[in-house]
Amino acid sequence: MRNFAKKHPYLLFILPGFILYCIFVIYPIISAAMNSLFKWNGIGPKTFVGLQNYIDLFTNKVLLSQLINAFKNSFTIFLFTVLFVIPVQIIFAYMIYSKTKGHSLLQAVIFSPQFISTPVIVFIFTLLLDSNIGFFNLLLTKLGLDFLAKPWLGMPSLGIYIVWLMISWAGFGVGMIFFIGAMKMLPTDCLEAAYIDGAGYWRRLVTVVIPQIKTTILNLVLISYVTSMTIFDFSYILGGVAGGINGSVDVMSLFFYRIAFGDNNPMGGNLDENSIGMGTTVAVVLFLLIFIVAFFQVYLMTRKGEDS
Amino acid sequence: MHKNKGFSEKIVNLLMWLYASFIIFVLVYMIYNSLREKSDILGNTLGKPKDLSLQNYIALFVNDHFEKYFFNSLLILIASILLLIFLSSMVAYGLGRYQFRFNKSLRVFFLLGMMFPIQLGIVPIFLLMQDMHLVNSYFSVILLLGTAISLPVFMLTNFFAGLPNELYEAAILDGAGEWKIFTRIMFPLAKPVIFSVCIVSSVQIWNQFFIPLIFLQSEEKKTIPLLIVKYTNHLFNNVDMALTASVMSIVPILIVFVIFSKQILEGFAGGGIKG
Repeated sequence: MRNFAKKHPYLLFILPGFILYCIFVIYPIISAAMNSLFKWNGIGPKTFVGLQNYIDLFTNKVLLSQLINAFKNSFTIFLFTVLFVIPVQIIFAYMIYSKTKGHSLLQAVIFSPQFISTPVIVFIFTLLLDSNIGFFNLLLTKLGLDFLAKPWLGMPSLGIYIVWLMISWAGFGVGMIFFIGAMKMLPTDCLEAAYIDGAGYWRRLVTVVIPQIKTTILNLVLISYVTSMTIFDFSYILGGVAGGINGSVDVMSLFFYRIAFGDNNPMGGNLDENSIGMGTTVAVVLFLLIFIVAFFQVYLMTRKGEDS
Repeated sequence: MHKNKGFSEKIVNLLMWLYASFIIFVLVYMIYNSLREKSDILGNTLGKPKDLSLQNYIALFVNDHFEKYFFNSLLILIASILLLIFLSSMVAYGLGRYQFRFNKSLRVFFLLGMMFPIQLGIVPIFLLMQDMHLVNSYFSVILLLGTAISLPVFMLTNFFAGLPNELYEAAILDGAGEWKIFTRIMFPLAKPVIFSVCIVSSVQIWNQFFIPLIFLQSEEKKTIPLLIVKYTNHLFNNVDMALTASVMSIVPILIVFVIFSKQILEGFAGGGIKG
């Protein structure tokens, strides 16, 4: 035994985490996912139906259109995060890293929305964006831009962007902290060399810093993807189980929740008696959507590690 | 080398301050409204306040014993973070440091926890906890939050994989064992990343709502978010208390963060790794 551990020293490090992780994270997932092969509502009779739930999900028009809508919304959140949030996070992180004026206060303040719990964030934004008493419309009016004032929360077409805005506002600091952490670990000599070579401030960011924090950037892209697919509470609080008017703020895990636990059966018809079966089917599909991307990324990164 | 005096840097700095002031505005807005009466917040949102008082705060402590929830939250936070960092740093080190056959598959395996909505597994978890007689015990929540190691493992694995081999070889030459190399050399080197992981996970644990809701049933053991949600469930009846409890839940962790934020910025700079 001792010899075996000597030959495989990694076991010593991995085993404790592995065992607990299997019991408390993996076992429940597998146990729950099995339900997708059954027709079951959690209490009544449970019949094995094989892959019928999966076939239903992709052939039933109502379900399919909801799935597509939820995926589209989740993907919109992801896309906007990658296009607009991550670049700004990198720039802000670089500014703080290079000790811009008031950097430590800025870091603390920009991170602080993370501490506010979701119901309160949604509540505050609801107040700020309210069409009558909202601060935002008042500001527009004061600036002489009345024509831009809108009932922001009453417009289904804007719904998902408002959800994105709240998620980004709450989570902006986290990504920034990760980027700052990554920059802190860069060897300073490269930056110094670039500085001596006369590379400007932004040029150093693009040519020296970004290539070296590539792994962190890729990690954050993956995390944003996973978050967009699994985010639940913002849409739930803002739009209820139905996901807003015409599913305007519906996202993947809310769709799952609605099918599995939704109390006022949104599907109508016979799907009600299959809530857990179909719910877990949606969850497994959601899992596959994430798994493919995550697997691809891990594969990409480990291969790169072997090359260098 | 870090002097940034150019025009564009000034603009970005200004934008950062603008963004920061919006955040401060929201925080002040919360604090300000927590000092007002309910009818005043809803009926007279932007008008002059009738009067400001600590009435809501007194009610929070006297009627609802906020301090009880606070200590529950704190206990769960500290225990979960210790477990989380202990497990995830070791797993990440094992995965990042050593090459072995199932390394790549294991990395993906440890990511699985991030890919499922937590609501999905809750029934099997509940039955499991019931069998272990842990329902309505802090341990159930601590075990679940402390073993959700997917994200920390993910962040730390790449860090350990990126450490130069010479460090490891030098330690071997000094005659240090595997365990000693980890605790004396590698773990301290990872401090900046572990700090980021700590902060991010702390916030998630502090605001965690779903797991405590399911497992902590007696009022004695409930955490702050459960108290807040009790108010926000009927938000327009309890706006004042919801805001007050939110402010009280933000302030302590914000203070801790401001203290540590200095350390992150100045203390661990570079970490002594030269690639």
